[in-house]
Amino acid sequence: MQAEGPIKPFPSHTGQDLDKRLLDLLSKKPFSKSTIVIRLSVLILAILTMYAFVSFDYKDVKLLDALLLTMDNLKIMFFEPHLKHFTFTQALYQVSITLGLAFLTTIFGAIIALMLGLLAAGNISTKPLSIVIKGTVALIRAVPTVLWVLIFAVAAGLGSVAAVIGMTFHSISYLVKAYSESFEEIDKGAIEALQASGANWWQIVFQVVIPSSITYIISWTFMRFEINFAVAVAMGAAAGAGGIGFDMFMASGFYFDLSEIGAITYFILIIAICLEIFATHIKRKLKVLS
Amino acid sequence: MTTLLEVKNVSKHFGNDTKALSNIDFSVKEGEFVSIIGPSGAGKSTLLRCINRMIDASSGDIIFDNDHVYELNKRELKKVRRKIGMIFQHYNLVNRLSVIENTLHGRLGYKSTLAGILGLHSEDEKLQAANILQILGLEDQLYKRSDELSGGQKQRVGIARALIQNPKLLLCDEPIASLDPNSSKVIMDHLRNICTSMGITVVVNLHQVDVALKYSDRIIGVNSGKIVFNGTSQNITSSDIHQIYGSDEGKLIFDLGGSHVG
Ligand SMILES: Nc1ncnc2c1ncn2[C@@H]1O[C@H](COP(=O)(O)OP(=O)(O)O)[C@@H](O)[C@H]1O
Ligand SMILES: [Mg+2]
Repeated sequence: MQAEGPIKPFPSHTGQDLDKRLLDLLSKKPFSKSTIVIRLSVLILAILTMYAFVSFDYKDVKLLDALLLTMDNLKIMFFEPHLKHFTFTQALYQVSITLGLAFLTTIFGAIIALMLGLLAAGNISTKPLSIVIKGTVALIRAVPTVLWVLIFAVAAGLGSVAAVIGMTFHSISYLVKAYSESFEEIDKGAIEALQASGANWWQIVFQVVIPSSITYIISWTFMRFEINFAVAVAMGAAAGAGGIGFDMFMASGFYFDLSEIGAITYFILIIAICLEIFATHIKRKLKVLS
Repeated sequence: MTTLLEVKNVSKHFGNDTKALSNIDFSVKEGEFVSIIGPSGAGKSTLLRCINRMIDASSGDIIFDNDHVYELNKRELKKVRRKIGMIFQHYNLVNRLSVIENTLHGRLGYKSTLAGILGLHSEDEKLQAANILQILGLEDQLYKRSDELSGGQKQRVGIARALIQNPKLLLCDEPIASLDPNSSKVIMDHLRNICTSMGITVVVNLHQVDVALKYSDRIIGVNSGKIVFNGTSQNITSSDIHQIYGSDEGKLIFDLGGSHVG
């Protein structure tokens, strides 16, 4: 061992020869399978894109004209917004209908999902029940919300009833997964302790499980509320569920009023931003608490 | 003194090959302080949990306070569990709740489902909780969140939660394994005090021989799921320790333990 004596200085400069050797080593980066696949995919996509542009049937549309016209439309939409077919107060009322639809379906969904989530959580339920519920909600979740609304429209007719049922249905499946996974995260020690003291299932659920996961429950529920707001706008247009979405549908498909579409878009944007700010605020509060 | 707990020929296997306990036989008198010692994996935790049926034994019989524990239905078992407090290595508190809320959890077994769900407690119960917490030196922490406490304080909340059950027996699974020596001493002193002055029987799993020797009336040594020693701490010899822990290790532990006990 060379514990004594001066420490050998780190070689400060490498000769020209050494540099060349290092460059040589650097250039010998192993060619892995994934790099080949990625490069090949990019190449194929590039070729396909070029082929597509060449082979499009443009009819009489000139690229430059089309671009300018689109720009013009966007300009009308966003720089000259106005409301013609209804007033500002009416718009506000319609937005509140859309918010109400989102709120109702989220609350319905949350209440039912809380119960099912408890039964689906592996640590507080039985294994077969947990598997059955998790499997069922996975199936329900795989079908998009809009499709569920249309499916329920067969029985209830296109309108708000079908929208409420369909959106609630999908919210349940989404929240059951979120809740049950939050429940499964919690420390099983406290559950064991209360079981050992003679407490029953309901008492353990309300004294251990829910207090331990309340921050997750709230933040997942709010997340779903934001999703449901976006879906509620779409449902107004697609399923005749009313609200601001229906006005947008009328403005675009019926009156061809670009300015009104712009105004409505601004409305929805402002609401979405407000929700986002509110959500971050709540989450920060919860973080302080938890 | 009357016998409080009788464990008769209890065996437990997990799956087909893991035999955690085989033919365990012992009994505990009212007011006794008994330590169960043995190497890790010997079956101490399993044995303790078979007593209140947190784990169901594969065969055998357990009599606690004149009840055949393995002949009870669910309802009756819950009633028996109220009389058995349990204390854990990792305290097993609900972190988000306060010291007094965690303590009052010990009363749930005596409540209706609805009162338990809503967390309704009588003034008497709250007073009793505060009283117990004062005995354990936590009167200034009543409304503190339990995750803001030190390990030793958390374990005292665990003890308070068990005591408010008005138990006849305390089962403690390695109560000091996660604590520093000072907090360990505080906890063991409290347990000993609970046994001596409140007359509550204590059965405690330990892996520190010196602590077991210092505090217990009786020691039960377990190795590979069998009882290899059962006697007073005065009567234990170094060869007994060898048998409990296996050759060399036993010697080391006993020398250390002996010097501490003095
Ligand atoms: N839930 C379980 N499933 C399978 N094997 C287990 C389980 N719990 C304990 N065991 C086994 O039983 C034996 C005794 O474990 P345990 O009672 O925890 O020992 P100790 O508490 O003395 O360290 C060990 O071999 C352990 O692997
Ligand atoms: Mg153990």
